[in-house]
Amino acid sequence: MLVVYSGKAKDVTLLEDNKVRITFRDSISAFDGVKIEDLKEKGKINCRTSTILFELLNRYGFATHYLSNLNETEMICRKVEIRPVEIVCRNVTAGSFCKRYGVDKGIEFETPIIEFFLKDDVLHDPLVAKEIAIQLGWVTKEESALMESTTRAVNQVLSVIFERISLKLVDFKLEFGRTDGGELLIADEISADTMRLWEKETGEIKDKDRYRKDLGGVIEHYKDILQRLEEIESHPEIPIKSTAEITIELKKSVLDPAGEVTLRSLQRKGYQGVEEVRIGKSAKISFSLTPSPNLQEIIKEISDSILSNPLIENYTFDFSSGE
Amino acid sequence: MRIGITKFPGTNNELDIKRVLGSLGVKNELIYPDDVKKMDEMDALILAGGFSYGDYLRPGIIAVQTPIIENLQDYSNSERFVIGICNGFQMLCETSLLPGVLSTNTSTKFISKWVHIKTGITSSPLLKGMENRILKIPIAHFEGRYYDKDEEITKLANKNQIAFKYCRKDGDISLKENPNGSVVNIAGIVNRKGNVLGMMPHPERASFQYLGSEDGRIIFENLIGELKC
Repeated sequence: MLVVYSGKAKDVTLLEDNKVRITFRDSISAFDGVKIEDLKEKGKINCRTSTILFELLNRYGFATHYLSNLNETEMICRKVEIRPVEIVCRNVTAGSFCKRYGVDKGIEFETPIIEFFLKDDVLHDPLVAKEIAIQLGWVTKEESALMESTTRAVNQVLSVIFERISLKLVDFKLEFGRTDGGELLIADEISADTMRLWEKETGEIKDKDRYRKDLGGVIEHYKDILQRLEEIESHPEIPIKSTAEITIELKKSVLDPAGEVTLRSLQRKGYQGVEEVRIGKSAKISFSLTPSPNLQEIIKEISDSILSNPLIENYTFDFSSGE
Repeated sequence: MRIGITKFPGTNNELDIKRVLGSLGVKNELIYPDDVKKMDEMDALILAGGFSYGDYLRPGIIAVQTPIIENLQDYSNSERFVIGICNGFQMLCETSLLPGVLSTNTSTKFISKWVHIKTGITSSPLLKGMENRILKIPIAHFEGRYYDKDEEITKLANKNQIAFKYCRKDGDISLKENPNGSVVNIAGIVNRKGNVLGMMPHPERASFQYLGSEDGRIIFENLIGELKC
């Protein structure tokens, strides 16, 4: 069978029916692959941790690539094309963020921060502004909105789960992939390699920073996280909310009497340079649902069939998630 | 024979229509938004005007989401007659039973006045014997400007679906006599089969001499005549 991708810690093998097998290896790397070595059992631990966390996200209604666990180091996932941009969500300052802005580690954000990074080892995964990623075609506007809202909702869920096992979720990254059908799914892995976790009481580092900073005991701490995750028996109710803000405008070709009247009034008042006024409508719809490609489709359907009349109106929508 | 008249929260013309039908000796019933069963028993349906659901979002769009209007496609497919007046016409356009849309009057004012309309040449039994007839009839609307793409308007004209156009008292159709900015003065249209009629003017308010005109009465007479056949 064909290994379609071999990364720094995982191999991806193409299977039938648009599925792939992901194999977790024992290797660990940091600083864009400059530092690399093998840690016994690491593949097994990360595969199990990822399995637990993906199953958890699936249970909370997220659209992920995960389908099933195959064995100790392998899982079966849907085949996706990984988007070139990854998303980082930060609850507390740490790592490259502190270096970039010259701020102390450990500052808690009032609202979690979302950052987009270009996945490129040669360029050292630079931070990219969302507008740049959209204009350069790395993600579409719609994808970026879904990625951001999904990441915020994942943060909401994982923060509660880790809180339950006395760990503080400091930050994490998510990768997204697109299926052949165009569906955007959470992909790659979710483990101590892709997040920062601190012991809630003591602030002790439990994640990959142990490796980056040569603190030792990497496997022991990864194992400890996994063990605590395994011990969670029930899953709390987490009120995930998604919000769509839809703006409806009359098409350019359609006369807008209200806009015309307002325009004349503004000109009469003496406001210089006022050229055109178009009056539209906006609607904000809140859902008690997890952000997903499916929900995005539902919002489009509502906008097409009820909120706007496609004969005379256009609409745009923005999609977000928050507590 | 029974004719149903729809009643939504905010509509206000159903009693006027009831009075006309009553004067013509026809049994009629008010049909409420969930009354699909009763609706299906009716030999014809008239969608009365007014301001259904406060005209929120867009005139007619909320009414269109109710069971009786969702059932309207099937109802009209059974060859039964459906007449939508004013807000009822707006509903028919929002359901796509009739093409186009009614948008805000060019004047941005609510217009309530007597106008004249000229009947087109259609194959609709509802307009039988009315070809080129000029009717004196009132309008009362804020969103009555009929709009569709040029090619669709051409299609309407070619398929003889334009039921009424705003005109002068002598029947001359000029833009000057267009009260709301409707494309080519359109005041009402019919579907291809001719069993669905939508119009902005109010025939029920021009059905008795004491109201100032009874020119609109013929539409109800035609409907009843067809049902008796």
